[in-house]
Amino acid sequence: MISVTPKNLSAHNVKLDLNNLSPEQVALEIKNLDLYYGNKQALQNISMSIPKGQVTAFIGPSGCGKSTLLRCINRMNDLVDSCKITGQIKLNGENIFHRHTDVAALRRKVGMVFQRPNPFPKSIYENVVYGLRITGENNRRVLDEAVETSLRSAALWNEVKDRLHESALGLSGGQQQRLVIARAIAIEPEVLLLDEPTSALDPISTLTIEELINDLKQQFTVVIVTHNMQQAARVSDQTAFMYMGDLIEYSDTNTLFTTPRQKKTEDYITGRYG
Amino acid sequence: MDNLNIGRHISGQFNEDLERIINHVMHMGGLVEKQLTDALTSVCDADEALAKQVIQNDYLVNSAEVSIDDECTRIIAKRQPAAGDLRLVMAIVKTITDLERIGDEAEKIANVTLESLTTQHKDLLANLDNLGRHVLTFLQATLDAFTRMDLDAAVKTHKSDDKIDREYEALMRQLMTYMMEDPRSIPQVMSVIWSARALERIGDRCQNICEYIIYFVKGKVVRHTTPEDVQAIL
Amino acid sequence: MNNWFKSGAPWVWLSAGGVSISLISVLGLLWLIASRGLSYFWPADLYQFEMTAADGKNLTVIGEIYDRESIPVAQLAHLELNIDPITKTIERLLIKTGNRELVSLDFRWILVPQINETLLPEALVVIERRTNGNFYGYIDDIILDGQSVSLDKMPELLARVSAFQKQIARLQSSDIGAINYQIERARLQERKHKLDGTLTDELQKEISSNVSKLQAEYQVLERQLLVLREQVARDQIVVRAMDGQKVNINLADVLQVTFNNQLSFFGKLKLFFSQVAAFVTDDPREANTEGGVFPAIFGTVLMVLLMTVIVSPLGVMAAIYLHEYAGNNALTKLLRIAVINLAGVPSIVYGVFGLGFFVYMVGGSLDQLFYQETLPSPTFGTPGVMWSAITLAILTLPVVIVSTEEGLSRIPSAMRHGSLALGATKAETLWRIILPIASPAIMTGIILAIARAAGEVAPLMLVGVVKMAPNLPLDGNFPFLHLDRKFMHLGFHIYDVGFQSPNVEAARPLVYATALLLVSIIVALNMTAVSIRNRLREKYRLLEH
Repeated sequence: MISVTPKNLSAHNVKLDLNNLSPEQVALEIKNLDLYYGNKQALQNISMSIPKGQVTAFIGPSGCGKSTLLRCINRMNDLVDSCKITGQIKLNGENIFHRHTDVAALRRKVGMVFQRPNPFPKSIYENVVYGLRITGENNRRVLDEAVETSLRSAALWNEVKDRLHESALGLSGGQQQRLVIARAIAIEPEVLLLDEPTSALDPISTLTIEELINDLKQQFTVVIVTHNMQQAARVSDQTAFMYMGDLIEYSDTNTLFTTPRQKKTEDYITGRYG
Repeated sequence: MDNLNIGRHISGQFNEDLERIINHVMHMGGLVEKQLTDALTSVCDADEALAKQVIQNDYLVNSAEVSIDDECTRIIAKRQPAAGDLRLVMAIVKTITDLERIGDEAEKIANVTLESLTTQHKDLLANLDNLGRHVLTFLQATLDAFTRMDLDAAVKTHKSDDKIDREYEALMRQLMTYMMEDPRSIPQVMSVIWSARALERIGDRCQNICEYIIYFVKGKVVRHTTPEDVQAIL
Repeated sequence: MNNWFKSGAPWVWLSAGGVSISLISVLGLLWLIASRGLSYFWPADLYQFEMTAADGKNLTVIGEIYDRESIPVAQLAHLELNIDPITKTIERLLIKTGNRELVSLDFRWILVPQINETLLPEALVVIERRTNGNFYGYIDDIILDGQSVSLDKMPELLARVSAFQKQIARLQSSDIGAINYQIERARLQERKHKLDGTLTDELQKEISSNVSKLQAEYQVLERQLLVLREQVARDQIVVRAMDGQKVNINLADVLQVTFNNQLSFFGKLKLFFSQVAAFVTDDPREANTEGGVFPAIFGTVLMVLLMTVIVSPLGVMAAIYLHEYAGNNALTKLLRIAVINLAGVPSIVYGVFGLGFFVYMVGGSLDQLFYQETLPSPTFGTPGVMWSAITLAILTLPVVIVSTEEGLSRIPSAMRHGSLALGATKAETLWRIILPIASPAIMTGIILAIARAAGEVAPLMLVGVVKMAPNLPLDGNFPFLHLDRKFMHLGFHIYDVGFQSPNVEAARPLVYATALLLVSIIVALNMTAVSIRNRLREKYRLLEH
């Protein structure tokens, strides 16, 4: 007779105490982060620890700052002139906003995939090796290997292995998005940021990507922004709910979607007027 | 209805769905309550016609359960409820199962009526009637708490099952004595015992429903715990 | 009616009308140029008119009909013509009679009523010559080395002459030209050393021995040339002109002898194409009124290509700076407005600027610094093909900048972000992603620049174009591409032939033919660029989001 205790029921998903992670469990630590666009404050005093090897989802209504927060992690906000940031984000214990941080090197460690698939108008092969070529890698054997590994990781290899040198623009939307993910993981980042990766895709492609995200967390720490609450519920281990630039609630996904602590969270995830 | 909060969904359709389902549950509750009242009355008054009516009407309760169950499935499939909504639907699915069982118990009680009791056992029935009245009150209180999704009422009602259990035990002891005194009356007493047993089961099911209410409101599971633990969790 | 207005149909008709008018005017223009230009090459019928002049004398006119017009009788009243008084107008013909050495004008008007008889004799011949234009008449005799031979020998003799002429041309232009060039360079070298004070006796000896060696070679070549000249002048044709006068024409002077009236349609067609080919490949003769326009084609194309090479990187770099690096502030806006306004400056102003700044200031300083030995005759301090190319590059710069910027701003930011997020720097992103995607837009800018530059004449007149350039800017002498040389240009050629030539009547068809050629060349340049652009566009086509 199998003894069913609460302990082995939840054994596949060890619950982390998000407020008390040990240093080796933390991938990213965000501390008192404030962000201003001109005079407008877009993020207010965000502090959270994103655990390693897990999927963390940011949800919240449009304009709540979840994408902005995501873009802070690889400093894509640098491209916005009026953007001003105070506070810290620590990657491997080092503040990424430090004056001497090499932004290009940071972005190689923190890959990013955008809302719409944005493959370059080059061949599939060249798309995947783009990041490697930037670093000066031109050895054909290394590149071939990287292409196969990353396309396999992105669950795209079987579909494109016979047409690696055809234009990436001939792929379907879902394939393009997986190609973009392959391109991002080809340079072996530590963290993978996904900014609404399925919002431009059909439901089946969406499921493929979600399945892929689940596989990716074996190798990478994944942070995903999504408008689709069910998606956050399906793919993530931790969920953070943001509202008007504030981090309202951050807890493990199971708790957040069944018994949220905050009324704002409850109203949002059940589809009520806030 | 304040605790339910269902009126504030952005989707008006969802609001209507939830409201309708809750109304159906309350309607079913009323039906079950009436069945139990009628069953108890039939026993006390040895009203065979009423008892038959109770037995006949059980299908209403059953079909109410099936249709509400369907509606809940539909809501889960179409709306993917989360948090409070999800807990509400889950609580309803479980509540109607218990209500249906209460309906079955009422049917059992009505069956006892049909086994013609002699007048000498009328005093036995008086005790049963007493227990029945308490259980009925318990059911009414539970349904009331459910209607308002009132946490305090649910907790209070939850505790009153103890009283029912004590009363049931007292009645059992009394019936045992009775059987020992007069072994010929055992078949009749057994019928009464079945009724008492059914009433006690109803009490347990009402307690379950209270637990669902607590789960819905607080998101905490209080099943299989002692009353002290319930207090601690709350 | 009201409903018809509401349906929007009038606007459709209006816009369709606009399109039709544009189309008709373009096609009409092309048709006019093509018909006038190409008919010049079509072998015309040779007429012999027997007529009575106003003074009662009979005379014969031989030639091709060039033009015809009707004039009112009143205009000719002083001639006291014997004409039916009912007629209000009479027709007159313009006849090209050639034979410039016999009559001062090779065109003459004749009045139709004075013509007694019109003949198309098969024996009439038109002889195309190197000098003095065409000769119309009858061949009387062919003299080979002092002896009369039959007419059948003619093609053979002509072939011999043209082979010799080719040899002579090659000797003159390549071999002797190269030696002259080297002697000139040796002289300049000597002068340079003298100026620098580094001229040693040894060096001087070396140079002078070099020069004398070259001069010896030159003399050998010159002797060869003389022999060839003698050879080529061996044979003669005796022809009879319309007034019966006999003329000896040296075969060395003859390019082509055709019996137009004997030619079949296909024979004429063949002649037509060979004439067109000669027009495109030959050098001009007789003050540009005859012969081909090859140097002008060459000059135009070379100048446009040079201009493209200069303007493309400049314009693209400027656009990249404005769009990618310059901050979005008032200064940038001002710059952008300035660039756009630059496109509106009249082209002659660029010519003046080019002459004043590039030719005199920059070119003058270059001469002072690097070409002192040739002074006072300027090298770069005088108009030349390089200055023309640079001036036109400045003129077309705004076009390239504006269309490149347009292309850059149309690239979705997702491309930039995608590249940056992979750890590329801004420069790497620009070089590997942005520029390739923007290349169709850049090509569009270059196409527009080419179209503008190839048709521009006014500024070139100030900074490098001449009516007759002795040498092409590209030849076999080191350094092969001579950027300091002046060049010929089709646009200027049209102006020069049409309006500056001594024989306007003869030049008129040439104007049309040259115009047609200029249009064809611009179209060809544009088509090449357009096809390159389309291929790029196909390659970098972004998905329609």
